Amino acid sequence: MELELAELLSYALREAFTPGVLMYSALGVLIGITVGAIPGLSGDIAIAILLPIVFALSPTRALGMLIGIYKGSMFGGSISAISFGVPGTAAAAATVEDGYKAKQKGEPKRALLTALYSSVTGDVISSLFLIFLALPMARLALRFGPVEFFALYVFSLMIIALLTRGNAFKGLIAAVIGLIFGAVGMDPVAGSTRLTFGISQLRGGLPLVPVLVGMFAISELVIQFKKEIDKLAAEKRRDMGESAESFEAYDPGKDRMSFKIYLSTLKATLIGSSMGTFIGALPGAGSSLAGFVSYGIARRFSKHSRQFGEGSLEGVAAPEAGNSATCGSSLVPLFAFGIPGSATAALIGAALIMQGINPGPRMMVENAPIMYTFFITLMYASIMNLGFSRGLIPIYAKLSMIKGKYLIPVVFILAILGTYASRNSVMDVWVLLIMGMIGYLLRKNGYPMGPLVLAFIIGPGAERALRQALLLGRGNPLHLLSSPIAIGFYVAAVLFIVLVSLTFKEKG
Amino acid sequence: MRRIGIAAVVVLLLSVGVLFAAAEREAVPFPQERGIRMAVPYGAGGGVDISARILASVAPEFVGQRIDIVAMPGAGGQEAINFVLQQPKDGYTLLITDYGPLVTTALTEQVNYELEDWVPIFQITEVQPIFFVRADSPIETVEDWITMAKEEPGRFAVGHGRHLSVPHLPLILFEQEAGIENTHIPTTGGAEALAFILGGQTDIGASVPSTIAGAVASGDVRALAVASPARSQVLPNVPTLQELGYDVMLPAWYTIFAHKDVPVDRMKYLEEKFMEGMLSASAKAMADRTRVELTLYGMEETAVFYQNTVESLKSLLEFIGE
Repeated sequence: MELELAELLSYALREAFTPGVLMYSALGVLIGITVGAIPGLSGDIAIAILLPIVFALSPTRALGMLIGIYKGSMFGGSISAISFGVPGTAAAAATVEDGYKAKQKGEPKRALLTALYSSVTGDVISSLFLIFLALPMARLALRFGPVEFFALYVFSLMIIALLTRGNAFKGLIAAVIGLIFGAVGMDPVAGSTRLTFGISQLRGGLPLVPVLVGMFAISELVIQFKKEIDKLAAEKRRDMGESAESFEAYDPGKDRMSFKIYLSTLKATLIGSSMGTFIGALPGAGSSLAGFVSYGIARRFSKHSRQFGEGSLEGVAAPEAGNSATCGSSLVPLFAFGIPGSATAALIGAALIMQGINPGPRMMVENAPIMYTFFITLMYASIMNLGFSRGLIPIYAKLSMIKGKYLIPVVFILAILGTYASRNSVMDVWVLLIMGMIGYLLRKNGYPMGPLVLAFIIGPGAERALRQALLLGRGNPLHLLSSPIAIGFYVAAVLFIVLVSLTFKEKG
Repeated sequence: MRRIGIAAVVVLLLSVGVLFAAAEREAVPFPQERGIRMAVPYGAGGGVDISARILASVAPEFVGQRIDIVAMPGAGGQEAINFVLQQPKDGYTLLITDYGPLVTTALTEQVNYELEDWVPIFQITEVQPIFFVRADSPIETVEDWITMAKEEPGRFAVGHGRHLSVPHLPLILFEQEAGIENTHIPTTGGAEALAFILGGQTDIGASVPSTIAGAVASGDVRALAVASPARSQVLPNVPTLQELGYDVMLPAWYTIFAHKDVPVDRMKYLEEKFMEGMLSASAKAMADRTRVELTLYGMEETAVFYQNTVESLKSLLEFIGE
């Protein structure tokens, strides 16, 4: 048995380091970073477009490329989140809050590198989990039925709602708007359409990516655009401009990353890594939820929680570690049972099927050489991601400091093209623009985007879980408390409320 | 001098225009003009998409033109259908779908087309709705399911994918046929239906063979029956409901459709070339790898299948009051 393993490993090592596999993995990482950075495009759309190529490649090369894209895009999304305040992917939605503030303070490089190191840390931890603990983790994940999922969603909403800065009432309103947006479309149980106002294109619901990019990106562009116009009006009077907005005033010398900074964000990174690994393994929970929950928890347990929302690097590290840590673990249910844990995992599952590999528990036995090679690829793709991104970040940091009048049109066009390309839908572009205007109005009046977006993301899942749970309990609401895991979440949520209100008393 | 220059340019442009117009009239034989687009009402990577890609991979050789698969999942698949409706009816834009977005939606909601607007030209595969339980379930057979469900109506929770989806409709039909009642739990799809079975949240699952094949092979899940005329090639030991004495057959074809205004000779050309291509060794090899059971049919047979599906869905939906 041991000999066999040694043989397998040596085969896998040789295979993983053949030029072909290395090249395709590197290509995947580069593609991933790029599509991740473009608002509206994400790793799954790149994988979807490349599926025909997957047919033609050898399994190890194909898997190397796909996993490269997955990992690259998880980090890539933070590039535009930090640089332009626009989440490049849904997963990076939670990174905008502090990442963009940090850039506005003149620290884009620091924020980007923090995001990168946390991403890679979270990713490596999660990949190790996948390789060594896939089965036990999957057993735990399977215990999550509708009852447990609903409790998890309630817990997540609670964390975010409680940590909204500023006016709690406005936060609540924003969350309600998010829930309403999420309820548009088909009723998950009865199948009838609702809130579509007779617009048949809305029967599938409001599409996730256009809503996110619209809320964050288009509204931000409108705000920036307005600033630019104001600036033009006052151009002659103040030549200098705002320091953070102009290329010339950016001082790269002051914006340096250090190991000390990495250590100072390590706690947040580890919180993100563990939350991400855990949430990623739950089928259907998703990487954006992981980002938000990591952010919320890291903020609660940070010594500098007051700095969150003001460009805190911990506030960048936590969600980035969180979303990247879902990469490896979202493959856990796929590998263990053939159940994809995320949209990207589903596409990787499809790619495996196209290669004649059936995702599921027998995959390891039937295709051991390929799987061992894949595991090695999984690890070095992280290192490639680190290397490439490290090289690209100085360029992106400079790019992010380009004057708004050049940048705004480019980001605007990218957002529109990316949105259209992801589902070949003109309707999605309209949703993007309308959400941009709604987002602009809300932000101008001090309504926070975080609760709105989170409620939009988890609202439909929470509703489905609740109604499934009630059906399973044959209408008895007590069924919601029938699971120890669920009770645990509710208790944690209550503890959170108590903790937060105590903190406010002390400080207030 | 300048005037002459302008005149020369105008003449040149005109003659180029005339040349193009002439070329236009000198009709290029059907599929030579440009690539064929095939709209899929689902995201990339799903069953319909993978089936279409098998055809696309052999198209250049056999159809004499490449086929581009365009995934348009928007508006529950209606965007793909509307896209095909809006394109010229020249055979360069086709639709590949199961009956869900095309027929079920048309029968339950307002859509921009009549069912008669569509002509099925080629069926690639057929998926059998399948019912399954966890390996340790007390339900060993369909008979057990019926007996226990009759003792206590509504006792079993069945996860079945979305409301009125391909596995859900045969479930309703079976309940009608067997005279039993179950508690229906809608899920996001087959993956969640399987997860709920493995996690013990539901008693019975309804999905398609490819979704559960892995779990059956590993011994975690036991399949009870398929709701189709023939057994599944992926799980050949699972009986059909018909063999067990229940007339429940609602397989889901994955079929390529053209708008009825597309010239018939073009449809016939495509039908013939699709058949040649799908019978090739390379298409077969790819179908084997992707676990797609090829059940290839041309225009004549698919027209009957389409008609039958429309009829049975109509009466079924009427029965449940949709």
